[in-house]
Amino acid sequence: MIHFRVESQAHVLKRSLDPGKHGNIMVVSVKVEGLSAFLEAVENHKGKAIFALFTGSHDAQGKSWCPDCVAADPVVEQCVKGAPEDAVFITCSVGDRAFWKDQNNEFRTHPKLKLTSVPTLIRWETPQRLMEEDCAKSNLVSMLFEED
Amino acid sequence: MAAPIVSFSRNAAFIRGCSQLCRRTKRPLSRTACFSKCSKSLSTSVPVRHDYDLVVIGGGSGGLACSKEAAQLGARVLVLDYVDPSPRGSRWGLGGCCVNVGCIPKKLMHHAALLGHAIHDAKKYGWNVHVDPTIDWSTLTTVVQQHVKSLNWGHRVQLKDKQVDYQNAKGSLVDAHTVRMLSASGQETTVTGNNIVLAVGGRPKYPDIPGAMEYAITSDDLFMLDRPPGKTLVIGASYVSLECAGFLTGLGFPTTVMIRSLPLRGFDRQMADLVTDHMEGSGTRFLRQHVPMAIDKMDNGQLQVVWRDGNGQQGGDTFDTVMMAVGRFANTGTLGLDTVGVEWYSESGKVIGQVENPEQSSVPNIYAIGDILHGRPELTPVAIKAGRLLAHRLFAGTHEHMDYDKVPTTVFTPLEYGSVGLSEEAALERFGSENVEVYHAFYKPLEFYIPERDASQCYVKAVCKLDGDQEIVGLHFLGPNAGEVTQGFAVALRSGLTYQQMVSSVGIHPTCAEEVVKMGITKRSGLDPTVTGC
Repeated sequence: MIHFRVESQAHVLKRSLDPGKHGNIMVVSVKVEGLSAFLEAVENHKGKAIFALFTGSHDAQGKSWCPDCVAADPVVEQCVKGAPEDAVFITCSVGDRAFWKDQNNEFRTHPKLKLTSVPTLIRWETPQRLMEEDCAKSNLVSMLFEED
Repeated sequence: MAAPIVSFSRNAAFIRGCSQLCRRTKRPLSRTACFSKCSKSLSTSVPVRHDYDLVVIGGGSGGLACSKEAAQLGARVLVLDYVDPSPRGSRWGLGGCCVNVGCIPKKLMHHAALLGHAIHDAKKYGWNVHVDPTIDWSTLTTVVQQHVKSLNWGHRVQLKDKQVDYQNAKGSLVDAHTVRMLSASGQETTVTGNNIVLAVGGRPKYPDIPGAMEYAITSDDLFMLDRPPGKTLVIGASYVSLECAGFLTGLGFPTTVMIRSLPLRGFDRQMADLVTDHMEGSGTRFLRQHVPMAIDKMDNGQLQVVWRDGNGQQGGDTFDTVMMAVGRFANTGTLGLDTVGVEWYSESGKVIGQVENPEQSSVPNIYAIGDILHGRPELTPVAIKAGRLLAHRLFAGTHEHMDYDKVPTTVFTPLEYGSVGLSEEAALERFGSENVEVYHAFYKPLEFYIPERDASQCYVKAVCKLDGDQEIVGLHFLGPNAGEVTQGFAVALRSGLTYQQMVSSVGIHPTCAEEVVKMGITKRSGLDPTVTGC
């Protein structure tokens, strides 16, 4: 089993949202790589509304192997602005293509994830989940972030 | 049973906050939707453009199917869904009774009970099972509710994806084209629709006895009950009553069913009696010809139930849980049917459909589907099919109507009962006993032999016309997996299956379903219908 290290010290981006609509609300955005880093991030933000996007990792040239992930990125980035004010948004890289395609990889087998495809966007510990091309549909992505 | 008391709590909270205002789909009208609009405009000679082509009140099986189908055909559709919490405070999400408090959680709990039974059988087959299995109610309700919630989410995704607007609001009729929406915060707005579909479904009735509303639960509460039900009394002879009592018994809870008169009214009498015989043999206690008088809560939290038996004698017992399953009422009371002149039956609250157009109400652009349509079966697949066909007639110019004949169904009691077509009684009444031939067989499923399971009620019968090739007008199957067995035969019956065609078919051995095609003994012959050997 490959264990990914946290890319950086779970680097936290604070993003200011459209002040006209939500006031100066910040959604905490966290980027991690690998399952253990993801679970650690979840643990760090226990009690908050946690959203997570599982996405293919980028190569050394910054290119993703997952075209659906590339299509989803701007949509998710836009729609996360509608998330509740105390929400945490974790972007988790699931590794390179070979790692992901291994049917026994930890993202596919973890009982609380059981991922079957990337990108997958979830509201943690709820059945609310969007997969593949649905992650690039802004009406669906907005619904996931905005309505519980 | 006495008239239902309907007085859900007034401060009914919303299930989900739908803070988003509904966003009108920006798509241009498709040609089909435009056509319906134009024809409407021509007929009234006033070019009215309503907010929507279709407003559906009720987001259950029928309403969702109709709204999604209409949107696929290019119509602008709004669906309203709102759940009044049960008197015990149970509440749920989008999808209606089937998904939340009906078919889905029921079938899962029925399956859970069967699994427990299978563990016992497994020992006989050689499995080393060292402890007697017990059910963890909390785990069961948690996994069932998780699945239900994932279905709620799936419905919302589908509505969004198919560009159906959705509001978590309670709808009522203002006029033939205007619907009042009562929002979560109590705000009222109106919306107009060229067509309106009423699909609000039904809710469980409570008998008019002291303590019923205060202390009893219904099927609206059972599947999310926050404690194990314990010793349970289920009141009613409906299929809901028997199914719930069946799986509660199977899960290990001491369960009693109280029945005033006949179990499974409307179903084949012989089959219904076999169903209850099997339940009784499996440990469910039956109080027949009993009616409840009062329920009271004792200091220890248990419920004291007083009843009257068939001889007028009073009796009683204490229970941890009392569940009412005495029938359902159409939830049309707040729809404003009278305001717009939609005709309905005062006894049932159900909307009366037109003879030539079964889902159309007395107001031509207002339709009713599902459990609130008078005289039609209260079944999810019926509502779905009726809703889809209606959408096609409204927005695709088709003329196909729902065929309510030979609709199959299965009662998921511990021994399942599947049926399609007429009961034996109904056939005798319709055709006369001299024109009806009934083939039947008692059989023992192969799997029952090793664990020595009682198969006394495993039974199948075909109700046929006597003349010619003997058209089968009713088929009844009591045994394991009855739903799976009955579905295919329902297709055959709808295609005009005759007894001669059926018995010329080859069975699949060894199965229970093969007993259907092997039936050779008629009731008229008086011969023993017990199947022996292959």
